[in-house]
Amino acid sequence: MPGTRSIKQNIPYRLLPDFRNLGTVLRILVVGNLLALFVALMRVTSFSELGQRMLLDSALLQPILLSMLLVLYLLDRRLQRLPYWQAAGAIVLLSVGITWGYAWLGGSLFDEVHGSSAFVEWRRMLLAASLSGVLLTYFRWRARAMSPALQGARLQALQARIRPHFLFNSINAVLAIVRAEPRRAETALEDMADLFRMAMGDGHDLVTLKHEVLLAERYLSLERLRMGERLQVHWDKTRMPPGALIPPLLLQPLLENAVYHGIEPLAEGGVIEIAIYAEERRLHLSVRNPLTDKAAQTGGNHLALSNIRERLSLLFDVEAEYRVTRQDGSYDVHIVIPLLQP
Amino acid sequence: MNDTVTLPLSVFIVDDEPLARSRLKDLLDDCRAQIELEVTGEAGSGIEALEKLNQHPAEVVLTDIRMPGMDGMELAMHLNKLDKPPVIIFTTAYDSYAVQAFEQRAIDYLLKPIRLGRLFEAISRARDAVPLRTEVLRELIPEARTHLSAHERGKVLPIAIEDVLYLRAEMKYVTVRTAEREYLIEESLTALEKEYATRFVRIHRNCLVAKSAIAGFEKGGEEGESGWLLRLHGLEERLPVSRRQWPSVKVLECMQDQGDQ
Repeated sequence: MPGTRSIKQNIPYRLLPDFRNLGTVLRILVVGNLLALFVALMRVTSFSELGQRMLLDSALLQPILLSMLLVLYLLDRRLQRLPYWQAAGAIVLLSVGITWGYAWLGGSLFDEVHGSSAFVEWRRMLLAASLSGVLLTYFRWRARAMSPALQGARLQALQARIRPHFLFNSINAVLAIVRAEPRRAETALEDMADLFRMAMGDGHDLVTLKHEVLLAERYLSLERLRMGERLQVHWDKTRMPPGALIPPLLLQPLLENAVYHGIEPLAEGGVIEIAIYAEERRLHLSVRNPLTDKAAQTGGNHLALSNIRERLSLLFDVEAEYRVTRQDGSYDVHIVIPLLQP
Repeated sequence: MNDTVTLPLSVFIVDDEPLARSRLKDLLDDCRAQIELEVTGEAGSGIEALEKLNQHPAEVVLTDIRMPGMDGMELAMHLNKLDKPPVIIFTTAYDSYAVQAFEQRAIDYLLKPIRLGRLFEAISRARDAVPLRTEVLRELIPEARTHLSAHERGKVLPIAIEDVLYLRAEMKYVTVRTAEREYLIEESLTALEKEYATRFVRIHRNCLVAKSAIAGFEKGGEEGESGWLLRLHGLEERLPVSRRQWPSVKVLECMQDQGDQ
């Protein structure tokens, strides 16, 4: 497939975390400070002492952590290319180096807090190395722990992505035109094959937006076969970057939900509006459908969409946004993900 | 068995998808080689089916379950009020809830895509089949019906629930009032109150009023009542509010006032 890239290189399934990911940055800050808190806790005997200790330690720790994050951000692409153990070693050395640099710069400031002796120097380096070691181990463990979840979610997604309802109704519709319009039946079966090839794939490879949109259009033309004029679709692709990469079948389930909950219950049918655009290094996907009474009462498509939300958070952690708005008789799902260019 | 057996079996098709209907027609055509039957009509919705079947009854109705507006099961319930209710065969692409319910109650259904053999089997059995009982169908409908229906002169008149202004119990009937006219239905007010709990409010021992139809209140009424009468949108008639129901009705009035602001 042209222009594909593996999710493996991109999103959580790798042992070394993506240091440009907001989730990773937050985790490093939180874990780093928590460990500092524990160390402080070990060394004090009263609450007031704990407060002072934490303040002092934190004042010295924060610049080191932040500089480390900055360096990791800058070196990220380079580190990702190294074999894991080399990259891990480099990171540990970097943390020791930065700590040493700050201690040298801070000089007496550090001495006042920790005292000054050769041992204290060594201890500082050792703590820095251990902290990076602990964090690296944590990320390694997390990547391992998350990957079965990714698999599980993918399996689960596979089942929910294309509703059996859609499959059987489509086959039924194709059967209806086989005798009278064999050519139309051929096209419909080809569309179906493309759709299921994607749905049954392992979902590892990112696809271009253009490809995903083509697939969505095939899906909609199958629904159109069944529903005829009842289903109207408005595409807004004027600001769409066709080459951007997205996880496969992100759009199709949104449309399937829109058709199932928004159009099918309406005898007169309705319009599905789809807008795709890039803005400030982020990719926006929005699908809007009429909000039917039934969906409004029962809480609508929420349940079916939780799957997509789960997939997004697995793939992009906190960098994906997922919003649902119901107003003025319409149901709007808006997804924002980082813009990935090949 | 008598000589009516020789008449072709009349079959009516209900499905919201035109292609699903034409597929069924093709298959029924294929059945003709072995069984005498005639497709007497088709409809794209429950309401349309009800109207057409009132005019030209059929012996067998093949209906999809999931349809906009009135679904297949509700249609079956209303059709049961006809003098000679048709035999209903449900068709569905995928509906685990319905299929499970059908299995439990031994109701015939066809899974889409429908096979000729299965259709033939179901159609051949239809002549001897007993119409489904209304109570059984009632159990199958998980949500409130979209329509009530009255039986008049051999016909079933559907009444969209959003057109109903009030329901009043009288003897063994319930009067259904819409802006146009009154209907009599044979149902219990308590059951209706339960089914449409969010739509109607009880204003009297014998009366449920659509919340959306309430226009306001005025003083008056007979003794023994609360002293309040209820005005409705689109009706001259005033309905007495009982003393017992007044507190719960009054809350609605306040909410309505806030809504107006």
